[in-house]
Amino acid sequence: MQLTDIEPGTVGPCPVAPDALQGIKRQQTNPARWNGPNWAAFSAALRSQGIEVRETAAARAAFATDAGGTAYGLAHGVVIARSTEQVALLLKCAQTHRVPVTVSGGGLTTEGESVAFGGVLLDMTGMSRVLAIDAAALTVRTEAGIFWHSLAEELRRQNLDYLSAPLNLTSSVGGTLGVGGIDVNSARLGCSADQALALQVVTPTGDIVECSDTENAELFQRVILGYGQFGVITEATLRVRPYTPLRMHYFYYASLRTAIEDLQLLDRNEASDYSGILTIMDCAVNVLVAFDSLGRETAFIADWRPRLRGYGELGFGLRTLAHYLLRPWKLGEAWYLLQRKRELFPELQRPEYMRDGTMFDRSVVFSRAVWKFWGSRQMVIPDLATSAEKFVEAVERGNAVCRKYFPHYTLYLVGIKLRPEHRAHYEMSCVPPDAEGWAYGCEFEPMMDAGVYSRDTLQSFKNEIYDIGVDMGASYYRFGGMMKGYIRRVFGDAMVDRHLEMKRKADPAMILNRHVIF
Amino acid sequence: MLGPDRNTQARPRNFASCSGCNLCLLVCPVWRRTHDFALTPHGRAKALQHGAAAADLAESIQGCTLCGACEPVCPEEIPLIAMTLDLRRQMPQPAAVQELRTRMEAQAGHEPSPRSGPVRALLPGPALRGRPDTMERAVALLGGTGSIRLADDDGADIALALEAGSTIASRRMEQFLRPLRALKQMVIAEGLLLRHLRPLLPGAALISLGEALSRLDAVRGALRAGDLYVIEPRAYHGDYQRLVRHYDALRAASGCAFNLDLQRIAVPATARSLPQRLGLETIDDGVQLRWIMQGRKVTRIVVEGVEDHAAFEGISALPVVHLADLADDGAS
Ligand code: SF4
Ligand code: SF4
Repeated sequence: MQLTDIEPGTVGPCPVAPDALQGIKRQQTNPARWNGPNWAAFSAALRSQGIEVRETAAARAAFATDAGGTAYGLAHGVVIARSTEQVALLLKCAQTHRVPVTVSGGGLTTEGESVAFGGVLLDMTGMSRVLAIDAAALTVRTEAGIFWHSLAEELRRQNLDYLSAPLNLTSSVGGTLGVGGIDVNSARLGCSADQALALQVVTPTGDIVECSDTENAELFQRVILGYGQFGVITEATLRVRPYTPLRMHYFYYASLRTAIEDLQLLDRNEASDYSGILTIMDCAVNVLVAFDSLGRETAFIADWRPRLRGYGELGFGLRTLAHYLLRPWKLGEAWYLLQRKRELFPELQRPEYMRDGTMFDRSVVFSRAVWKFWGSRQMVIPDLATSAEKFVEAVERGNAVCRKYFPHYTLYLVGIKLRPEHRAHYEMSCVPPDAEGWAYGCEFEPMMDAGVYSRDTLQSFKNEIYDIGVDMGASYYRFGGMMKGYIRRVFGDAMVDRHLEMKRKADPAMILNRHVIF
Repeated sequence: MLGPDRNTQARPRNFASCSGCNLCLLVCPVWRRTHDFALTPHGRAKALQHGAAAADLAESIQGCTLCGACEPVCPEEIPLIAMTLDLRRQMPQPAAVQELRTRMEAQAGHEPSPRSGPVRALLPGPALRGRPDTMERAVALLGGTGSIRLADDDGADIALALEAGSTIASRRMEQFLRPLRALKQMVIAEGLLLRHLRPLLPGAALISLGEALSRLDAVRGALRAGDLYVIEPRAYHGDYQRLVRHYDALRAASGCAFNLDLQRIAVPATARSLPQRLGLETIDDGVQLRWIMQGRKVTRIVVEGVEDHAAFEGISALPVVHLADLADDGAS
């Protein structure tokens, strides 16, 4: 069968293209590989300007997949970003020679967004220096390829901390600002992308532009939460704060609905500094609440603790014991819960990270646990982001899908405080258009430790979760790459076409991260 | 639940199981210096997963300093040091390593004369032997020559061969191990040798010089708030789960700061690639030393490793004291 070349962003004639899949089973694949015209001229042009291009199989293979482990592609060559000027030169050349540029930070995408299907892979982690910390103004200027954890290491030497960052430590700052970034304090401080005060961006045509809410604001709006479509972030100025250890509390619930209602009660009333839900099973739901100060903790215990319907560890243990004694045929489930508790709980309280009952390095504790207990060679983490009102229903429906596909899975739920002045940033992003005050996100993460699943199974699972989003008018955090077939369905043609038009104007050869969104 | 798609084979503990989490990058001194993904465990793992051979990764494999920082953070529990050494074994050996092997074979012919005496020994390694005063003080602190003997053969050649991924003739290994089998405790200054000997000498207690000294009241009492205590990384990371608690207790008791990052991984002060160890490339510890010192307000630097001593003296005006010299340090 003859496959026609389709200009990125257009809807092709193929009857099984992602956009033609309404109502039928969807099993999507990687994009077709760019076939490489002009590669030799492009790489020669880069080399003539002193840019190293690595073309050995080993160099390219190192970037063949992302953390999801289900998308595979090979770049024609790899360039390590070393300076803004070098990135600008590269993009100028890429426009001239019409060579696709795929930008990779931590490479922690799950849908192949940071995998190059031909063209050049630009590894931003080569730009990982912290440039200036202003302890008085509470800001940091950093190169954008830096991992959040490396940034935290530098900030801590001055007793400072970032505001909010993804829980996994090794996302890059630039990558996160491009997609969102959710932390357990996002219900109070918003997503990581909202912490950016200013950016240095290299546009797809190779111009170096400084942007912020007040300078080149339109570019700032498009680049923040822009999924890498409108420029490469090379530097960022972020807000920071004085470092504080955490006072943690865990509450246990047997019902997802009750736990979510209580979480939203706390968020609405700003009753805690950190809040989130992590499930072991849907009948063992953990609401995590934490505080930056003794004062806040004391106020919570007096005013809000009595209103929560969750149990402490002992109370929940006794309740669960009684539950399973009456249902001996469910002993396997009880055994799993017990094992999980035995493995996970000590990891969350390792004495070297605790001092005087406070957690000293939350990002380390959570991140190590995330990778140890949830990381694996294949990872799919479909998600749903909704308004506060729709959240319980979305989670319950998503949970039913998880149950169908996997014996064990985890749900991670957090609120995200929205900033009204950033409405323009949120357009066509993970923030659902109908959310007011807070958006809520839920990640559905199967535990794949004990097994390997076919890609079709994983794709069908993701599709079923994302179909809920279409049905409910929600949004998603991971809607790029292999899931981009959903973009037109959730955002509608008018909005997508408007963004496509902006993209075409900004990136005439459609080279920058071309397979991610359009 | 869908049954048929599941495949429940136990997962391997090798580069094939690398999930790509990047946690090893956060602690790797080679990454800090180069920000070149290809020179990291993750970079090696991904290249090998996609068909690269050891020869394709020569710079990466030789560049690893074997500090061991990546191993305790790897959530897949990949034995990264053993795997890097295995890759080194698959590569052509530099001439300096060939010469070392010849020397080792020659030495294997000499039978050590049997010795009676203490059942504890210190294996000081060439760096500590190069500072006889410090070595003497270490022996005195550990109980004196009546309680601990200086090993005649401290396996310095074996340590270097291990580092190079070179095979060690069984005759030489046996010659080295025979006198050690009679011992109950060994204090070993070279961290890589310590890791290697532990499974070979299961009947004896093997600890690092740093741990041995830092357990002594005389040494602990001389530590103070304002000290920066520099842990020798190889031994520490080789027995991380136990030692992280030891040093955390030492921090709580003394109030001193450590060369630990937020993950409680030791930041190596003198991280050396294989070509640097073999004297084939110049050494530049500047990046690591500056990172350890950045933003710290300390009044004295206390080191476990002799090499670290010289390196800190080269960049800092602060007093630098080896742990063995601490009790005698006038500034204590
Ligand atoms: S042993 Fe040290 S230098 Fe080698 S890869 Fe691990 S962290 Fe990097
Ligand atoms: S820490 Fe282990 S699993 Fe993670 S990237 Fe490094 S080698 Fe791979």
